[in-house]
Amino acid sequence: MRGSLSFSSQRNFAATLLLLPALALLIGLLLYPLVLGIRSAFEMTGADGATKFVGGRLFSVLAHEPRFLADVLRSVVYVVGNVGISFVLGYGAALVITRPVRAAGIVRATIIIPWITPPVVSAVLFRSMVDPSKGPASHVVQYFLGSGFMILGNAQSAMATVIVHSVWRSFPFIMLMIAAGIAAIPNELYESAAVEGCGAFRRFRYITLPLTKLHCAIVLLIVTMWTIQDAEGVYALTSGGPGYSTEVVALRLFRESFLNFDLHIAAAVGVVLLLISGVFAALYLSLVGGKRVEL
Amino acid sequence: MFALGTVARVKARPRRRTWSWAVILVGAFLSVIMGCRPGGNAIKLAHIYDPLSAPSARANCEWIERVLQRYREMHPDVEISIEQFKWDQIDAKLMTDYRAGASHDLAWTSPQWMAKHFDEGDLLDVSPLLNWSAQETADFSWSPAWKTAEREGKVIGVPNGVHTRVVCFRRDYFEEAGLDPDNPPQTLDEILEAAVKLTRQEEGEDVWGLGVYCGRERGTIELAFAPLLWHYGGELWDETTGRAIFASEAGVKAARFLYDLMHKHKVCPTWCATGTYDDDLLEPFLNGRMAMVWGWGSYWIEILEQKGWIQGLFPPTPDGKTVVADVFVTPTIPQAQFTNAWLMSVHAISKRPQDAANLLDFLVQPEQLIDFPDAGLPARRSMWDRPEYQTQFYRRWRRAAERGRSMPATPHYNELADGIAAAIQEILLQDADAAKTLKRAEDEYNARFAQL
Repeated sequence: MRGSLSFSSQRNFAATLLLLPALALLIGLLLYPLVLGIRSAFEMTGADGATKFVGGRLFSVLAHEPRFLADVLRSVVYVVGNVGISFVLGYGAALVITRPVRAAGIVRATIIIPWITPPVVSAVLFRSMVDPSKGPASHVVQYFLGSGFMILGNAQSAMATVIVHSVWRSFPFIMLMIAAGIAAIPNELYESAAVEGCGAFRRFRYITLPLTKLHCAIVLLIVTMWTIQDAEGVYALTSGGPGYSTEVVALRLFRESFLNFDLHIAAAVGVVLLLISGVFAALYLSLVGGKRVEL
Repeated sequence: MFALGTVARVKARPRRRTWSWAVILVGAFLSVIMGCRPGGNAIKLAHIYDPLSAPSARANCEWIERVLQRYREMHPDVEISIEQFKWDQIDAKLMTDYRAGASHDLAWTSPQWMAKHFDEGDLLDVSPLLNWSAQETADFSWSPAWKTAEREGKVIGVPNGVHTRVVCFRRDYFEEAGLDPDNPPQTLDEILEAAVKLTRQEEGEDVWGLGVYCGRERGTIELAFAPLLWHYGGELWDETTGRAIFASEAGVKAARFLYDLMHKHKVCPTWCATGTYDDDLLEPFLNGRMAMVWGWGSYWIEILEQKGWIQGLFPPTPDGKTVVADVFVTPTIPQAQFTNAWLMSVHAISKRPQDAANLLDFLVQPEQLIDFPDAGLPARRSMWDRPEYQTQFYRRWRRAAERGRSMPATPHYNELADGIAAAIQEILLQDADAAKTLKRAEDEYNARFAQL
């Protein structure tokens, strides 16, 4: 017993030693910049070029700014809108393509095109579709709502366009991931359920859904992170306008750091973005409930 | 034997694979290293023209290639490498790289960023490097762009042209509407009256009387809002207090003028508040959908020549004439017109500052600038006296340039421009109250920057 403990300790020690280089890389490349970034959110550079500690002043500025509070709210709307719609569409598409239907391969290949298209390219495509004078989508909308209606000139329809664009890009990824989960479910389970007299809905409710729960949590987490951090798609599509009506926190971060070169306020915005991401991550991880899902 | 040979082949295969992987990895590593190598000993010239974006940008790239070829012929020992950044990010890029210790040599910079560059210290004082005579300096120092780059005797940028704006109009449309193209509007009332006459809303053939850009880019403040605000007696920013003051009575009047153009008189399309400067003004004008464009830049003269709407005016010749399109000075009061230019600056951590300054000196010589499309107009005052700039077309441009002024020297100009553009969009597209919306934007700016 004593010998086995000692062997186990030695193995643990060796494992720890082997992990050290990776740990050092993690600290050097991830934690250190993260700490620097967070520290930067508590500093300001004066006109003399000197950087000084200002406590939570930048957070206070942001908290008192109606524009930023609206940015946070819009980020939540953007995430909920995109993830909600693309998840339902993606799950539905996954159920379809995992069935033995004709031309499933072609459908699968076609559907992933939006996902592999770079976001700026797809945003420019969308932009040309909703161009008020020559965009085909604009012509359709103007037929119903009058010739003066501009999709990107209205706060609500501009935000809807941003969400639709993101859904168009996200749902193929969700579909692929969920389809992989569905394909891994043993057929015997469905056969037994069929023998027991379960209909399609009950098979979905008691077999497919529980056994793809982990895939759902992972895919929701990934797409949520993408959406929260999406600045390029929104910027290329609306630049945050009209007014600030489509400006999300990630776009604000991009604007402050790369367009305004206001690195300290950008760091503060980044910290808020990190917190929002943390909240969503915690929510999704609680979906899995810390339990190991056996497939 | 056969079996042994098979085993040998099977065993050899992984080895070959290992070798191929090693070769690929080493190749990739070397490519990365070579890619990161900053052009060896070359002078790095950073410009803003993306050859894939628009024909005008391609023309500027071709000009750069042409003049650099001449420079290389004169200095065969000098190597020059080109860097390209987005026009609205190059200044921030120079600052970020300065902090990171990544050097550039010569770069295009924007006058609106000069106050921030002075604070940051990322650009060199080029006056001792250029060592120009007082006369040569005076040839440039008349320009509003030069003034933004000069502080306490230090000069951190030299203009390579003059960007001013005028109203460009279609002579044929004027005649069709019973207006005299040789006597264009001179006041705001007159331009409005002309715009009403020029607007045609016919099925499949809409022509808008006047296009004014009011979108989400900083062109909104520079081309539309600020000239009108100055015209009505207001200011954007107070240098002594560091406070934004654009939400004044004059600011509200300026915003209402723009609103009325779109919604009351319906002479300007509302989509001028949604797209980009090029999409909303340049393209519709060239496609015949606008009779007048407010904010036509001097960098677009070449396009008119290519279109055949002016002849012999780019590059300028003494016999140049307008044919289909013409220009007139924006009908605001004197000094209520935005004028700037691209500057050329030497990065503070340049490894070859003197060589960079020599190249700068070469690039701003009259014989180089004469066919630089983005120069727009001559940066050197002496060039204006040449016969080719004595046509009525260029006399109008000169008058516009002389009536011009630069944007305020706030280190937070981008935030100011961004806040105003957003407020104007809200007023024009969402019917937001002009006074309240401008005040909110002003308060947001002041809360962040006025007390710093």
